[in-house]
Amino acid sequence: MKLINKFTLWYLCIALTCTVVGTAITYYSIKSRIDNAAFDRLKTINQLAAEEIKAGTLGDSVVQGRKVEVHELSTALPTKPFDITEVPSVNPTTNKPESILTIRSYYAINGKNYRITCYGYISKADQILSGLEVSVLWKWALIIFLIAISARLVSRLVLSPFNKTVKAIESFNLKKKERLQLPVTNTKEFIELNTFVKAMTDKAIDDYNSLKEFTENASHELQTPVAVMRNKLELLAESDLTDEQAVMISDIQNSLDKLSRINSSLVLLTRLENHEYETKEPLHFCRLINSSLATYKELIEMKSLSLSKNVAKSVYVQLHPMLGDLLLNNLISNAIRHNIPNGTIQVQLTHTSLIIQNNGTEPSVPTEELFQRFKKSDQCSKSIGIGLAIVKQICDIHHFAIQYNYDNGLHIIEIQFKSVDAPTPPIVFETVAEQEPAFIVQPV
Amino acid sequence: MKVLIIEDNEELAESVREFLVREGYVCEIAYTCQQAEEKLFMFQYDCILLDIMLPDGSGLKLLNLIKAEQLQSNILIISAKNSLDDKVTGLEEGADDYITKPFHLPELHARIRAIYRRKNLNGSNIVQFNEISLDTNTLEARINNLLLDITRKEFDLLLYFVVNKNRVLSRQSIAAHLWGDYTDDLANFDFVYQHVKNLRKKIAAANGTDYIATVYGIGYKFNATAS
Repeated sequence: MKLINKFTLWYLCIALTCTVVGTAITYYSIKSRIDNAAFDRLKTINQLAAEEIKAGTLGDSVVQGRKVEVHELSTALPTKPFDITEVPSVNPTTNKPESILTIRSYYAINGKNYRITCYGYISKADQILSGLEVSVLWKWALIIFLIAISARLVSRLVLSPFNKTVKAIESFNLKKKERLQLPVTNTKEFIELNTFVKAMTDKAIDDYNSLKEFTENASHELQTPVAVMRNKLELLAESDLTDEQAVMISDIQNSLDKLSRINSSLVLLTRLENHEYETKEPLHFCRLINSSLATYKELIEMKSLSLSKNVAKSVYVQLHPMLGDLLLNNLISNAIRHNIPNGTIQVQLTHTSLIIQNNGTEPSVPTEELFQRFKKSDQCSKSIGIGLAIVKQICDIHHFAIQYNYDNGLHIIEIQFKSVDAPTPPIVFETVAEQEPAFIVQPV
Repeated sequence: MKVLIIEDNEELAESVREFLVREGYVCEIAYTCQQAEEKLFMFQYDCILLDIMLPDGSGLKLLNLIKAEQLQSNILIISAKNSLDDKVTGLEEGADDYITKPFHLPELHARIRAIYRRKNLNGSNIVQFNEISLDTNTLEARINNLLLDITRKEFDLLLYFVVNKNRVLSRQSIAAHLWGDYTDDLANFDFVYQHVKNLRKKIAAANGTDYIATVYGIGYKFNATAS
């Protein structure tokens, strides 16, 4: 619900309460005024009648054109000097439902007790109410109309700095390193909001920059010494060496390799976290898979593995080409490396998912944990255990769901993604390609 | 071939120079942008190895200068920054290739040769060594004009050997050359071994000389003097 509608509803509720209470007050005050006036008039007539009785001039029982009934009482005077009754009745002259107001006054005149009664028609409560109804309806129509109009106009005016701030935040992108420009406002709440948002985004930009700088420096500062060591070793390897020295050089080179890979992988993970690889161009995913598989063809053959693939055509995803390459290379090389002799690799790509299955021994740790950095099923294996962490990170930042299951001798990795449309208008004369026979996919 | 190494790290520059001098190249080193500018104005180089991060400025600035002066040198960027932006910018600004630290010296050499073939040999893409002839365009390898039935990887491997003949090639360097970085995979050595074995078998089958020798503990060597 929009803020302005909430405010409007509240105001309408308040207006409704005021109207109900106000109408009740108006009703009762008008009614008591009318009643009192009629009562005073009738009481005066009774008083006059009593004076006429006293003077002995009351003949026709009519005082000021009004009929009075005079009774001589045989009992004592009641404690109250008068009593009033009001009975609904139809006024014979106007033929409208009104009320008869009857007032009985008690007097002691010349030693005798009298009851003098006099009555008159007054407007009934219903009539006052129906008169009020019209005015209340008009009032309400006016209130709703004005609130609706002012809500639209005033909100646009008052909330405009807020809306601008929201727009600015929406279009804010850390990578552009542009500081947020917020509108000037004199509303206290919006000033507070803007100050807070500005401080927050400025801090984010500064942190982002220093983090980026750090990763770049770390990468640069570490890679150069590693390069020096590696190259010196290569030159050293060309001199006359004993077998022991050669093995030592080889061991050092292996460790250097590992060091350099760990460094560049960590830098890559940080870059991924910083969302440095954004792309607008959709990636031709099926083509990439085919070329990636072609790269590993020889490795697959060398290990006597059998590869079956079922790759759908025209699958595009929103992914940076380098990340796509990295993702597939890590998954496929894993599927080769952790395979068993004469094992199988199955690759299936649809428009919503990629499934890579391979034979392999049972992992010693839960499969979910293998997504963590430096976590390996076989701790003494030669890999550094960061490939799956990179895969997971790539999936996470693109909101792909990734699952790793081990089932009955099969490692199954499934990635679910949202494919996008082809970047250019699709080829018009595309015929439906014959699908390769799909293999049976183990239930995950 | 005359090579200018623009690199602020003295040890690294020296290693590169030592390796290339053994290949018969004439090498000079510039440690700063300013030194590089002076040398570029005075001498002509076939190839320039350009580090991006230099103490007195960015290597990309030098790249602009080289292009503005229309110097006919091949340019290979050497950078510690494995950042995509730099790579794209560098190649767009007219560099011929891009290599990331830490690189293997034979790999650097192979890249220099590849650029040289591409740009200086007027479309002749034949690498010839004795009876071995490699066409880098069609990826065809011949021994005594007999076409070898080899895979893409085996072709790459043979070319790597021929370009770096008489050098010790470590298994790491071969693996990195064939599969690139980023494969979290040090067990690739088994595959290096397999590839080399297959390649030697195929060359022997074509009656070629077995130039490839094993260097104990480290890797392999293409012995140009083998008979």
